[in-house]
Parts: sequence; C-alpha cells; structure tokens
Amino acid sequence: MLRIESLSITLGGFSVRDVSLEVRENEYFVILGPTGAGKTVLLETIAGIHSPDSGKIFLRGREITSMEPRLRNIGMVYQDYMLFPHLSVQENILFGLRRKGVPMAEQARMLEGACSMLEIQHLLRRHPGSLSGGEQQRVALARALVLEPEVLLLDEPMSALDRRTRERLRTELSRIRKLTGTTIIQITHHFDDVFAIADRIAIMREGRIVQVGETPDVFLHPSDTFVAEFLGIGNMIRGTSSRDGDISVITPPAGPAFYASSSVPGSVVATLHAEDVIVSTAPFASSARNCLCGTVSEVLAFGSTVRVVIDVGFPLTALLTRENYNELHIEPGSRVYATFKATGVHVIPVDPE
Amino acid sequence: MRKISLFLTYFAFIGIGAILAGLVLYSPLPALLANLASPEIQFAIVLSLATSVISTAICIVLAIPVAYALARYEFAGKRVASLALALPLTLPPLVAGIALLLFFGTTPWGKALEQAGFMVIFTPLGIIVAEVFVNIPYMIRILRSAFSTINPRYEYVAKTLGSTDTGAFLHVTLPMAKPGILAGTVITWSKAMGEFGAVLMVAGATTLRTETLPIALYLNISTGDLDLAVAAATILILISLVTLCAVEYLDRGAIVY
Repeated sequence: MLRIESLSITLGGFSVRDVSLEVRENEYFVILGPTGAGKTVLLETIAGIHSPDSGKIFLRGREITSMEPRLRNIGMVYQDYMLFPHLSVQENILFGLRRKGVPMAEQARMLEGACSMLEIQHLLRRHPGSLSGGEQQRVALARALVLEPEVLLLDEPMSALDRRTRERLRTELSRIRKLTGTTIIQITHHFDDVFAIADRIAIMREGRIVQVGETPDVFLHPSDTFVAEFLGIGNMIRGTSSRDGDISVITPPAGPAFYASSSVPGSVVATLHAEDVIVSTAPFASSARNCLCGTVSEVLAFGSTVRVVIDVGFPLTALLTRENYNELHIEPGSRVYATFKATGVHVIPVDPE
Repeated sequence: MRKISLFLTYFAFIGIGAILAGLVLYSPLPALLANLASPEIQFAIVLSLATSVISTAICIVLAIPVAYALARYEFAGKRVASLALALPLTLPPLVAGIALLLFFGTTPWGKALEQAGFMVIFTPLGIIVAEVFVNIPYMIRILRSAFSTINPRYEYVAKTLGSTDTGAFLHVTLPMAKPGILAGTVITWSKAMGEFGAVLMVAGATTLRTETLPIALYLNISTGDLDLAVAAATILILISLVTLCAVEYLDRGAIVY
C-alpha cells in the first residue's frame, strides 16, 4: 500500500540512503534502529515534510513524492507529542478538521468518536501543559486519528513513557489498529516495545535498511552481526564452520566445538538465543546435539528472569525463569551442563578477522 | 563581601532613585500640569505617540518574516545578513541618522523617492523612517530568539493535519511566539518614544513640526525654558517605568514551549 523506491535524503547530520520498502495494507510495520540511524528523517519524508534528494514514494499506487503533506492523508505522532500548547485538548483534536473545512456537525461527531476510542472525553477542556505523558500521547493519537489517515506514522511513541503506560499504549495501539484498519508505521530503537505487535520489521543502520522481514524471522535469522547484537540475542560466538555430513561443526578459537544445522562454511558468527539454552546439573539424554559442560561464572536477575553465564571455554548465556533457577540450586562456581539444539544455532558468515 | 555588595546595591538604588525623583519633583504639581497642558508639549506628545506607534507597527510587520527566516532557514549569506541586521544595535543613533540623511539627501535613490512624494528629510515622515531604522534590529533579535525556541515539529504536525505552510505559521508558530512579539513591541515602542539622535539628524528639530518629546526637551533646554524641558522629561520617565513593568510582567508570564 505504501511503497518507497530507492529513497535518499540528507538533512543536517542525518541521512537516508537508497531505502526501498513496501508496507502492506493494514500492517503494523516497525522500523528499528539505533539513535542517529535516520529513522525520523525517513518518517518525515514519508509524511512529506522534507522532499527527498532522489527516489519515489507511492501510496496505494499513486505517486506522492512531491505532494504537499496536507494532501497525503498520512498522520504523524511524535515522540514528544507536539500538542499545540496554546490550544485546549479539544482545539488540538479539532485542528485538522477545521483546516479541512469539515462541517461543524460532522466535526462534533468525529471528535466524539476519537475521544471515546481513546477515552479522553474528560480531558477536552484542559490544556496540554497540564496532562501526563500518557494522556498527551492519547490526545496526540486522537488528533491524528480523527482525520482517519490511511497511514499513521509513530515516532518512538513508547520511549518517553513509564513501563505501565507503555504496556497500556501497546494494547491500545493494537486495538486502534483493529478498530480503524489504519496501516501503522512505527520507528523505535527498542525492540521490546514492538516485538509483540509488529507484523514485520525493518532494521535500519546508518541510513540504510539492512534487513526486512516477518518479525519472528528477523529475530531468529538476523542477517548480520549488527542486527543480532541490536536485537539483543543472547549469544554470539565467533568461530570457523566446517561441514560434517548434513550439519556443520563450529570451532571457536577457545573452548569446545558445537553443532549447527547450517551449511555456511568458513569464518562465522554463531548466534544462539539465551532462552534456547537448557541448564542442568547433570547430563541428560535428549535429541539436542549439543551438551557442553562448564562452570557458572555470573548470575544476573532481571525481574522474573535470571540470566546465567556459563563458562564452557567461551561464555554462554542462558535465560531461565526465576522459578526454574531456584529449583536448580546453582550459584557462581557450580558445575553445570548447557544443552541446546543444533537447529537453535543460527550462523552468519563474516569476514575473517 | 556580603556587606560591601549590599551597601553598594543600596547606594546605587538610592542614588538613581534620588536623581530621577529630583527631576520629577523639580516643579510643583500644578506648574507641572500647566506645562504638560501647553500647546508645545501637547503637540510633542501627540507626534511622539503617532510616530512611535506607526514605526513600531512597521517594525513588527517587517521583522516577523525576517526573524522567521533567520530562525528557520539556511540560506546563502545568512551570517553576513544577520551581522548587518544587528549592526544598528551597536551603532550610535547619530551615525545611523547621518547615514539616513545622506541616503535620502544625496543619493539618486533617495532623490527618486523624494520625487515620488516620499519626503523624508526634515519631515514627520523622517521621524518614522529614523525610528524604524534604529529599532528594527531589536525587534528582529527578540523575534528571532522567540521563533528559534519553538520546535519546527509543531509546524510539521500542523502540515500533516491539513495546514499549508503559511497556515502552519499563522495558526501555530505565531500564536506560540506571542510573548516574544509582545515583549518586542513594548521595547521597540518605548525606544521609539525616546529616540533622539537619529530623529534629530533626519527630521531636524523644528518647533511644532518635527518636535517629538525628546526633541522638545532638547529645544527647551537650549532656549533656557527649563520648566517645559522638565515636563517632557517627566513623561519620558513615566513611559520608561511603564515599559519596564510591562516587560517584567511579560517575562514572568512567558510560557516556554
């Protein structure tokens, strides 16, 4: 529905280089990248704020590259909301309808609709300065959604909110999307924000899109070490890969070799999700190919999960539930076994260092 | 340290207060009122008000787009332009006045304007021209800083909500810059009321023709009529006081976006 063809733009210190993307109808599409990757510039260019140096943008087959933002029917909500401070909440939401010359009766109906969807009727008389972050967020969403945009662009909508409000916004956004059928493109630098709701994600780095795909696919098969590190996959082990029948053996510079179901030979980085590592105090028979013995070197508790780092010759991180961890009775220095499947190991080719 | 600095503070406060109070209290109230009612002072008050209000309005209209461009856009020669626009800030008004006098009196452009009926030299119109020239840099400065504190993303959002470029400016940035515009207006107007050097050069000092309040003060001191000079000075002090209070009030009420 929204197609971007080799878009390039440089603006101040930020640039977008040769970006091509296709966002599908009614999709929740997320662009992930570290700060300074050019995500906001890309979003603003889609909205029509900046005209690209080269490339084209199509919305439902119609080229909009040089169309004025006000005619595009693309809504935008910024990280810090950008509610007009000199207007009340109601005037903020009505701003777009007034610019578009919507009749008064219609305005009232649409205002009512947006307010009940976001549950902000009680805020209408207030001014933005007196609202909490979460309330401002909902008002900003209402202001954009009241115009029934074809695409809604969200610039880091979670980052200024506390954990609880964040959870709430997440459910709200997926509800809004179901309710309105609006296609949503969100940018973020934090994977946790969107893992649950994104249909597809694109990873952006230094102005380029480095990987696009269905969310689980990208998570399980990061295309390079940058993506893997960025997504926070627990284990990344450098080594050389050699074939052994229909699977390969990864030999790290230090520590034992292990199996991976891949056919990439040569220098590689093997990634393994921390939650795919099973920790036990004694070896056990299983279908998993890899069972490495080591000592616990570090235990880090995060909320309901515990990260256990095991030195098997190289450091290996396992993610356990707190319950699980308590049952194991392990502590730094304990001798343990780390078991994981060859299919859990994802292999990315790299230039030898 | 504390004692010395407090002592000097009181000393400065009492010194300034006593000197200004001495001026205001120089003539007894009935005499002061009579002098204020004299035709010459009445004329000066009206002329000063009219020229300062008009010149301030011109400053606002010209400075808003210029200040906006300096705050928002990058363009060739921006550094030089902003330096040139700031120069009259540090220039003695007398020098600005001479430059204006030469421009309108001797250059072909100035003569062409005069031919077209734009008579500046030794006319009330000259007062307005001089006031605009001297004061517009202040207005541009204040508005520029007002505009640059407003995040351009407010306008971006307005555009995605259906505003044109101009609409986004008029409906969002301009109202948000209101405290800055008010402060700039008050300062520009009070400076216009008190402008002397540039006005003297361009419009001359003709009694009951180009006689603003400061010119009235100057003419009457020159002719030894101290009472009328004091009346003019008293009004100028009142204007300064009102301006100061207005700026303080606006400063406190200013909302930082």
